[in-house]
Amino acid sequence: MNNGTAESPFSPSAEKSETLSNNPSAFLSQITGAKVAVKLNSGVEYRGDLQCVDGYMNIALEQTEEYVDGVLKNQYGDVFIRGNNVLYISSI
Amino acid sequence: MADTGADQLDDTIVSEPLDLVRLSLNERVFVKLKGDREIRGRLHAYDSHCNLVLSDVEETVYVMDDEEADLKTIKKQSEMLFVRGDAVVLISPPTQS
Repeated sequence: MNNGTAESPFSPSAEKSETLSNNPSAFLSQITGAKVAVKLNSGVEYRGDLQCVDGYMNIALEQTEEYVDGVLKNQYGDVFIRGNNVLYISSI
Repeated sequence: MADTGADQLDDTIVSEPLDLVRLSLNERVFVKLKGDREIRGRLHAYDSHCNLVLSDVEETVYVMDDEEADLKTIKKQSEMLFVRGDAVVLISPPTQS
């Protein structure tokens, strides 16, 4: 039992998260223009410069490299990725 | 005249991902689909679902041959093709440098 203080476990105690962004789309707009890794549900990963993202999580990448099982398989100048395939977007 | 110049400038700006697809209209594009399928063809139309209409299409299907344990490719040609958007994984103008 707690000692009665109604401190929510979800209160924004971590100041770090304040300095980053407090919602996911703010993070996405922060990293546009940066080099990112996009992993798809299929396991295929795309690395390139993030041009833009929309509400469906559709993604436009530039200078894209396609990695299958960590091995470089293809290179594309520009790539449009349909949002439903996205597992994660990570800035690298 | 100046108007068209401004329009052209606008046309090349990618402010949302689907702009990339818009810029590929009437160009030959490379499309990766679910189920290890790839398509190359001239893009005639698209919508927000990524439904596509392509012409002079070459479809490549990659099939794992269980007995031989090697990768087989099957190629199919079609004059005109409608692709349902939910099968689309990736669209790229095939300007491989």
